[in-house]
Amino acid sequence: MEAIVEACDLVKSFGDVRAVDGVSFSVKRGEIYGLLGPNGAGKTTTVRMVTGIIAPDSGEAYIMGYNVHDDPVRARSFIGVVPEISNPYLDLNAWENLMIVGSLYCIPKTVREKRAEMLLKMLGIYKERSRKVKGFSKGMRRRLLLAMALISDPDILFLDEPTSGLDVMSARMIRSLILKMKERGKTIILTTHNIDEAGMLCDRVAIMNKGKIIAAGTPEDLKIKFGEYTRILLCFSREIDAKLVEKYLRDYETIFQGKRVTVICRSNDLSDVLDKIVNIVKACNVCLEEIQASGLSFEDIFVRLIQERKNET
Amino acid sequence: MKLEDARQCIEKIWVLCLKDMKLYYFKGPTMVMGILMPLFLWLAFVVGKGISFTESIPALIALSSFFTSSSITPIIMPWEARQKTLEMLLSRPVTLYSILLGTALASSLFGIFISFLLVIIGILVNVIPCNPTLLALGIVIASTCYSFMGLLFSAIPSDIPADAVMLSSAVRLPLVFISGIFIPIQNLPEYLKPLAFISPLTYFSDLINNTYSQNSIFDPIIDVIVLISLTVMLAITALTLNKRTLTKRL
Repeated sequence: MEAIVEACDLVKSFGDVRAVDGVSFSVKRGEIYGLLGPNGAGKTTTVRMVTGIIAPDSGEAYIMGYNVHDDPVRARSFIGVVPEISNPYLDLNAWENLMIVGSLYCIPKTVREKRAEMLLKMLGIYKERSRKVKGFSKGMRRRLLLAMALISDPDILFLDEPTSGLDVMSARMIRSLILKMKERGKTIILTTHNIDEAGMLCDRVAIMNKGKIIAAGTPEDLKIKFGEYTRILLCFSREIDAKLVEKYLRDYETIFQGKRVTVICRSNDLSDVLDKIVNIVKACNVCLEEIQASGLSFEDIFVRLIQERKNET
Repeated sequence: MKLEDARQCIEKIWVLCLKDMKLYYFKGPTMVMGILMPLFLWLAFVVGKGISFTESIPALIALSSFFTSSSITPIIMPWEARQKTLEMLLSRPVTLYSILLGTALASSLFGIFISFLLVIIGILVNVIPCNPTLLALGIVIASTCYSFMGLLFSAIPSDIPADAVMLSSAVRLPLVFISGIFIPIQNLPEYLKPLAFISPLTYFSDLINNTYSQNSIFDPIIDVIVLISLTVMLAITALTLNKRTLTKRL
């Protein structure tokens, strides 16, 4: 399949801070591609460069083969963007906002009116179309931004943290809409720090940290890559001494959450760790109420990657 | 294909101009301020100084065009950057230049509208221009020139509209005093005269004097040529500087 979005060695610094440091990726037609990372990883800056909102210090970005910085108007005519930090015009109503954006894509009036009506109905804000946007809730504004991104029926959608700060119902609605868009053949580039969301929606993900892509692949690929890891969840009858646990399990990574302790083992052979857990139970004189062993979740992989990078630096 | 691109570009500039008009100009307070600010400035100079209404209405038109065309433009870019609507526009298939030209066009049209309103009021009270065509041409060029001047102030690398307003007031208010509107240029102190000759308001004020009383310092053709040259210069500078400061805004 052809790559319709390409980022080639993008670099961007703000003062002394290198926000994006040599990011490259390509997205194929019809894919949902996720840029995943903690706050400040450089996801939004990457999207802003790929969509031509800001210029990179070096590197290039292409949309449908058009260089975003040499031919921004042509390149942007294929995309719809829901930026993370962006707003519709608050003193205009939803309909007027949609009409302005539609006109900027030079869509004929009758077509854009028809599309605006369909989108507002689909997103459940048609009845509010004549209300000024400043009276809209955050969720309604986000839905309007989505409608504004879809008014040109773009081939490619950039969604920067589309569900950030939304209530469960609105977030769920937006996720189901993203999947509907994929069914209709749209290519979607999604940035998120919500790991579950990325695992649920994305065909491929790139995990970013400190301006760099530190891992990329399908969520399943990443799980296989980290397949030799086992996650053991222990639930004791009371909180136990962390120092004692660390003494017994010093070869393992442990996470304490009150009575619950998570142990990450880099092996599928659990005999050694189970022996040590028995010793802890005896030494602390506690009851082990629950024990669960599983492969790493996508979230665990994400945390490990970020942690590994932190340790390296 | 190039022609089609140009047509689409003009269409987008017009859409952005209409958006600016709706958001910033077609509002009661803006309309009132557009008339009140120059009106009170004019009254401050005219009342009690034995200057007749007929003599002074050209000054009011010059002031109105100057203030109305350059008052809102400085704040639009910082305001839109702050509201994050600038980023929303920049993610659409438009260039920054189209956005800026839309802003300048809306401001020029507002200045032209208010100035013609005053010309009509003048005609109703029997203050009739001797050369209406030249007056109309002057109003159009001057309003465009002043709107680009306002756009130049908006290039200040800040997303706080008050910063741009302060800069614009610091430049515009002194210009009123040295541009021959209330104090004839011949009566200005020698050290202020060079400044008067680089002020865009001087040439419009001179042109207006010519169209109403045929009493001007320069030939009207010179006024028109200088105004057009200043417009081009201000437009290029405003567009270039705004592009340069865009990264700091976003």
